[in-house]
Amino acid sequence: MSIKSRRVLPGFGLALGYTLVYLSLLILLPLGGLILKAAELSFAQILDIALGERALAAFRVTFVSSLLAAGINAVFGLVVAWILVRYTFPGKRLVDALVDLPFALPTAVAGITLATLYAGNGWLGRYLEPLGFKIAYTPAGIVVALTFITLPFVVRTLQPVIEDIETEVEEAAASLGASRGQTFVRIIFPALFPALLTGFALAFARALGEFGSVIFIAGNLPLVSEIVPLLIISKLEQYDVLGATALAVVMLAISFLLLLAINLLQWWTANRHHNAEPLEAAAGRVSGNER
Amino acid sequence: MSIEIRHIAKRFGNFVALDDINLDIPTGELVALLGPSGCGKTTLLRIIAGMETADSGDILFSGAEATHLHARERQVGFVFQHYALFRHMTVFENVAFGLRVKPRKERPNEAEIKRRVKELLGLVQLDWLADRYPSQLSGGQRQRIALARALAVEPKVLLLDEPFGALDTKVRKELRRWLRRLHDDMHISSVFVTHDQEEALEVADRVVVMNHGRIEQIGSPDEVYSSPASPFVYQFLGNVNVFHSRQQGAYAEVERSAAAEREKDRATAFVRPHDIDIIHQPADGALQADVRHVHPIGPVVRVELQHESEIVEVELSRERHEALHLAVGQTVWFRPRQIRVFGADQAPRPAPEKQAFLF
Repeated sequence: MSIKSRRVLPGFGLALGYTLVYLSLLILLPLGGLILKAAELSFAQILDIALGERALAAFRVTFVSSLLAAGINAVFGLVVAWILVRYTFPGKRLVDALVDLPFALPTAVAGITLATLYAGNGWLGRYLEPLGFKIAYTPAGIVVALTFITLPFVVRTLQPVIEDIETEVEEAAASLGASRGQTFVRIIFPALFPALLTGFALAFARALGEFGSVIFIAGNLPLVSEIVPLLIISKLEQYDVLGATALAVVMLAISFLLLLAINLLQWWTANRHHNAEPLEAAAGRVSGNER
Repeated sequence: MSIEIRHIAKRFGNFVALDDINLDIPTGELVALLGPSGCGKTTLLRIIAGMETADSGDILFSGAEATHLHARERQVGFVFQHYALFRHMTVFENVAFGLRVKPRKERPNEAEIKRRVKELLGLVQLDWLADRYPSQLSGGQRQRIALARALAVEPKVLLLDEPFGALDTKVRKELRRWLRRLHDDMHISSVFVTHDQEEALEVADRVVVMNHGRIEQIGSPDEVYSSPASPFVYQFLGNVNVFHSRQQGAYAEVERSAAAEREKDRATAFVRPHDIDIIHQPADGALQADVRHVHPIGPVVRVELQHESEIVEVELSRERHEALHLAVGQTVWFRPRQIRVFGADQAPRPAPEKQAFLF
């Protein structure tokens, strides 16, 4: 189909132009500036900064805790979304509204609150610490903060998809002799999987960039619980702009590749069932075969 | 397998969906549950399938108690109006699903599954679609796949919920003939729900007419059409002209303008449009009317007559219509050949020997 073909709604040219300008101003321009700044360094210098002991540890902490948080939310966010869609109970609307709170709450407030709760003398920390679970001021604290922050992404992505699953499909599976477990594994989960991946990717991306809540609960020990965004800030505070830029570019590149991979996987699972074939073409061939 | 339904009742809040339903479905019979939407027919079907639980009453399969069996233990095949195919599976996997989820020791091996699925797809004449996904099929094809999927587990009973409701007229006609043939080949007890009287009369061995959660009549298609047990059945199956009348001895006095003055004599007379004759001269027991419209519809001609302020519908064969030479505005007389009277209590009255029309 050529781009110039006639459409029912006019304004394609204007809308596309607007989209490109908007995206350029908001996303491409700042990122371009970042890369331009980083170009002052050679590739070897960038690698040198990124592979330093402290930087490497920060990358590991950031990516591992983000993956863990997104993974935890993929499981428990699915449960929350399922319950919010499929069951009615008193206070359901209130619970539904609570899910959005991490979106609205200033992240620093979340970080301070969580740190107070999980500190050795906090409401939860005083029971957990004697049991050997030290959460505040450790990498575990980072995971807790990131899990809190990213919960809405998974829940809000899954809710409409769960609403879309017809209960008839489950009834059909039951009448064919499938148990609840078999119905979930073979019917429901495959239908949810693409959306679950999207939710996971969103949560993961959000966790990578999270700063405000983490610095209050992490303890920020270099090599142990220091995240990349904090390392970038501390480099800036030492007027090491180039060092900060190098870290930012590496962070950007890894995040972009990971998100691209997840999106490709998501796209592939979603399209497998339709073979990306226009309906008319398929229908034409069907009637052709029938003759 | 025979199904016995004993005193089944079901309420949704204040709404009575089913009210003391009793029904026997003998082995191998094809039964239609027919009624308007909201009459409880789908609820009854879902209770038989175990997808809904009755508030009271029992379901017996081959004489054995099945009321509390889970849907997966009932060995019923269920076909949904909107197919409910598994979207992420190919046609082959959809049909194979029931075999693959069997407990390990009953599960057939891969070669056997392949053979069975091929056989079923052959039965529904869609074996060339095995590798497609449901979204690539037409409505009629999807419903046949849904049927093949239900038959894969060799159910004892086949339950179909408005199976052809979402299809266009031509495909619907084809599929119901095909279902009838399939039923005759397989000899499996089948129950299907429909609101389409033509479908029920054409396909079923027996028709169960339901209304407001109750069974109005059970009978062969011919019985329910030609001797309806209640005014509801009369009106639901086919077109009918309704005359308010008064039963007086052997006479049904039809007066279309005013209600009967004595409550207990009040009655309603039903006359099918094809049971009315049109004549050109006044005659004993005939009413005068003007021709309002003449619509030739395929093999019949529908004539609308105006008698006083009311419209009477008459269906004539093409030959009769040509012999009559009806013109719009013409004055004619009409006389029912067959009339059925129900009293004020909705109970059928003996057919009157004579009809008298009062004005």
